[in-house]
Amino acid sequence: MPNKEETSSDKKLDSKEIMDRIAEASRQVVSGVEDEEVENWVTIYIMGRAYEVPADLTILTAMEYAGYKFVRGVGCRQGFCGACSTVYRKKGEYKLQTGMACQTRVEDEMYLVQIPFVPAEKPSYDLTEHEYDVNVLFEYYPELARCVSCNTCTKACPQDLEVMDYVQAAIKGDFKGLAEESFDCIQCGLCAIRCPSEIVQYNIAQLGRRLYGRYDSPEPEHLKKRLEEIEEGKFDKEMKEITKLSREELERMYAERKREED
Amino acid sequence: MAELKYIEGYPENMYKLIDKVHATRQKRKDYTPEPMSREEQEEVLNLHPDYAPGGKRKISIGQNKGDIAPDPVVNLLEAYPLVEEEEIDISSADYSVDILIIGGGLAGTTAAIWANNEGISKDKILLVNKLRHGDANSIMAEGGTQAADREVDSLKRHYIDTMGGGHFTNKPEVLRGLVEDAPFIMHWLHELGAIIDKEENGNFVEKWGGGTSIRRLHSCKDYTGLEELRVIRDEFRSKEIGCIEHYPAIEFLTDGENRVTGAVLYNLETGEYKIVEATATILATGGFGRLHIRGFPTTNHYGATADGIVLAYRAGAKLRDTDTVQYHPTGAAYPIQIVGYLLTEKLRSSGAQPVNIDGEAFVFPLEPRDVEASAIIRECYVRDKGITTPTGLRGVWLDTPLIDEKYGKGYIEKAFPGMNRMFSRYDIDMTKNPVLVFPTLHYQNGGVETDPHGHTTIDGLWVAGEVSGGVHGKNRLMGNSTLDTMVFGRRSGISTAEYVKSGAKQGKLTLEHQKRYVEMLKEAGIKPERRSPILLPEYRGKESLARMIDIF
Amino acid sequence: MKVSYYPGCTLKTKARNFETSALAVAEKLGIELIELSRWNCCGTVFSLTDDDLIHHVAPIRNLIRVQEMNKNGLVENDHRLVTLCSMCYNTLKRANIRVKEKPDDLKKINDFMYLEEDYKGNVEVIHFLELIKDIGFEKIKENVTNPFKGLKIAPYYGCMLLRPKEVGIDDPEEPVIQEELIFALGAEVIDNPYKKVCCGSYQTIRDKQVVSNLAYDILTHAQNAGAEAISLSCPLCAFNLDSRQKEIKEKHSDFTRIPVFYFTQLMAIGFGLNEDYYGFDLNYVNPEPLLKEKNLIGRNNAK
Repeated sequence: MPNKEETSSDKKLDSKEIMDRIAEASRQVVSGVEDEEVENWVTIYIMGRAYEVPADLTILTAMEYAGYKFVRGVGCRQGFCGACSTVYRKKGEYKLQTGMACQTRVEDEMYLVQIPFVPAEKPSYDLTEHEYDVNVLFEYYPELARCVSCNTCTKACPQDLEVMDYVQAAIKGDFKGLAEESFDCIQCGLCAIRCPSEIVQYNIAQLGRRLYGRYDSPEPEHLKKRLEEIEEGKFDKEMKEITKLSREELERMYAERKREED
Repeated sequence: MAELKYIEGYPENMYKLIDKVHATRQKRKDYTPEPMSREEQEEVLNLHPDYAPGGKRKISIGQNKGDIAPDPVVNLLEAYPLVEEEEIDISSADYSVDILIIGGGLAGTTAAIWANNEGISKDKILLVNKLRHGDANSIMAEGGTQAADREVDSLKRHYIDTMGGGHFTNKPEVLRGLVEDAPFIMHWLHELGAIIDKEENGNFVEKWGGGTSIRRLHSCKDYTGLEELRVIRDEFRSKEIGCIEHYPAIEFLTDGENRVTGAVLYNLETGEYKIVEATATILATGGFGRLHIRGFPTTNHYGATADGIVLAYRAGAKLRDTDTVQYHPTGAAYPIQIVGYLLTEKLRSSGAQPVNIDGEAFVFPLEPRDVEASAIIRECYVRDKGITTPTGLRGVWLDTPLIDEKYGKGYIEKAFPGMNRMFSRYDIDMTKNPVLVFPTLHYQNGGVETDPHGHTTIDGLWVAGEVSGGVHGKNRLMGNSTLDTMVFGRRSGISTAEYVKSGAKQGKLTLEHQKRYVEMLKEAGIKPERRSPILLPEYRGKESLARMIDIF
Repeated sequence: MKVSYYPGCTLKTKARNFETSALAVAEKLGIELIELSRWNCCGTVFSLTDDDLIHHVAPIRNLIRVQEMNKNGLVENDHRLVTLCSMCYNTLKRANIRVKEKPDDLKKINDFMYLEEDYKGNVEVIHFLELIKDIGFEKIKENVTNPFKGLKIAPYYGCMLLRPKEVGIDDPEEPVIQEELIFALGAEVIDNPYKKVCCGSYQTIRDKQVVSNLAYDILTHAQNAGAEAISLSCPLCAFNLDSRQKEIKEKHSDFTRIPVFYFTQLMAIGFGLNEDYYGFDLNYVNPEPLLKEKNLIGRNNAK
């Protein structure tokens, strides 16, 4: 069995050589693709102007390829921060589509523009001053009542959330529904930009989730107990001692740890 | 060349290899490879990018002269400032504040809130951001936050786990602060209304993290950082604390001695600079993933360019543990659009196994990160049992369908909506098929040295979060970074507030430290071809860059 | 019998007592009110502007949910949608009529909601009172274990149950449906000449005084005719006639407060249901003293 032989005697390959091979394999991702390596090209229109770009890129990397240096309209580059909201329409289609530039592959004949900032109201509030009640949402966001259930927000959401449903949950005072339906929101603001009733859905959801998180279920007992113990100084002595231990003693303790049963 | 045929998101030849994973799944379901012994760990670590020869060198100037750091980091330390004294007017300040906070991730935002809680007026705190407030590595944290809050767990155990993970190089007093404050941070998050996963009985759900001896990881599905940052930022905004965006700090100002007194800010859009004077400054700029150390892709956000250590080092602050870099064992290796993106360790702690081309589970899934990453590199490049993608990357399978096998159908969708969404955008169904993974550049283990309150070796300067060094030693454990940001964000916020309230006065504004630093550069014979901080990485296409004319 | 049920936002917040009592009463009558699995605001209020189609999207979307309920087997080939709140009833029913009468409008609305299945126009919006009437007031009588024995109750209709004529659940000038119900519960029906007068509706937000003046007229006319309590079916009317008694009292010190009930609360009492279903904590004028005086509550709690 050749495999076995190979495994048992791990070839002592030069580890520097391995690093170089990894770097070479990653080059496309790290420093960009070389034109001669590209097999498929598409044409995209950045704010109306045509650029030929490699078909494998996302809107974000395609714009960079085309020479755009981002200051705005980029953040985490991995779909979490909501900075790279993009609106596009494909040639010959009436539908206006949305996506995060970092999460959307370019397609041929895509006309696109980024929305790097969304003007939105975010009132100040102090959770401790409020009851767990739907009135809080209406107090800060009375426009919530203006929802006409057109569902445009849902169509705009790049996370595919049921935005209208969570807005409706907010109106009904269904905090659980609001929290669950809106939990994956990255606050990119595309819903708010598209809303004909000028509601800022994601900020309402933020307030609703915080009320839900704070009031819907109490702080776990085990956490309260631990906080009391810390407050009483129960661990002070052992913590003080442990910081004085030698490396050898720490290594011994580490090696002797018992793994908790699964 | 024939068009590649794709099946369920994979090219046909890769897709066929998945059969082996399916075929061996039932056998592997109840089998987990044993954790490695210390000796085995040490051996495989030779393949870790930190320990493999090359890619790093000694810092040749300054307070850490002689210490080892990755080449791209040394390059930035051995570089000239973006502006020097004769180019700008620092004689009067545009902003005059008690506390300047640089960087608006979890650490900086937490610091601002706690400084305000401790009595510093919202108008006397200024948070400056290079990108938008919250566009940070914090928001991308997926897996969770550690806190020893179960009865069977203890602070001591958290301490030992972390110390071992850090190869016993962690700074003891600082680590003590981390574990002691952890339960309080969970309490604070609850008060702020964060929705943390709970069991039916109301207890927190606590998961395994790599290198820990007990379940201690608190999560908010796989959007932990997003949820933490959202609530903390919302609280910050409700407090109306001063905040400006797209306005990074490009140099500290000092009193000419050993004290930071403010900073030079730069408007990324207009190019204008502003001068801030501050009684105390908190540096919370995060890490250096976008330096692509050793040519690795990264999990980090666009702005992770080591600005913080550059500024602090020039001002005279001491660094530590600059020689190690954390590579997350499981970055996405396919498709090309998401290469390097983080696939949370929580996938493995929920049952997903790394599996090689033959369908073998070849490593205990929850080794400390450096060990796990090295084992995957070994599988791909030494044992040659990796899977090669159309662009030539190698990786191993992460058998995600095992998670649903373990917890029931639908669990992945519920617990990992972010991961599931990311792959489904590329037609890959991670509930049905495994995904391809390879280590990715993840975290700056070392950084600016601090005391347990975030105070650095120079006056007027505190640090919090990834830019700091010491608490994680030479390797950070999962769930300790979001914790670090909030513990030391809070501690530095409180500590700076106390400093201000104790009557510390604004010092004078000079760039003397910069002059001395430039002298050192010259003496060391470093040519003025590199400038730092770089602020943003360069990803523009080579063709268009080559033809660029700089007119405006 | 399983029927699709549309609660509306107020029944989940300020008027939870309306819903709680209604669900309990329905169960007693063998009716299972199945809440629409996803519903949105009814669209309050029905837009009269001829070309303002967007405001009919909300009600029609709810009617699509009734089709889905049938498709998913949550109700069995029953396209009725039961409402409780008079306002929701009115808005949903009028939108339904409009799209049935104007197929072009329906097509536009369907096209606009392309993510939903098309609305086919086959849903029938009814009010819970109509469902009760269909079952028959004899059946109500049979279920009464705690008869009101002459308690004097004045029904109040307001606008939304009766007008316009094509959506009215009864004769717009001489409605009797609540009267028949109250009679069946064993109470004495008091005829209030102001039972169809507007309560002031949303003016309550802008001008409390306008509403409390109207409410004063409605309530005192009922009292002058001998009423000891009011029965109604609309959370907004309830708010205006019940809560605004505070403002009435401030202006007219000789005014005597009078309890205001949802008709379902009266049914729950008459059926002798568990007092948990009454939800008096959400009534502004506490009806318990009156009910105790009449020996209608506070006895051994029935099932």
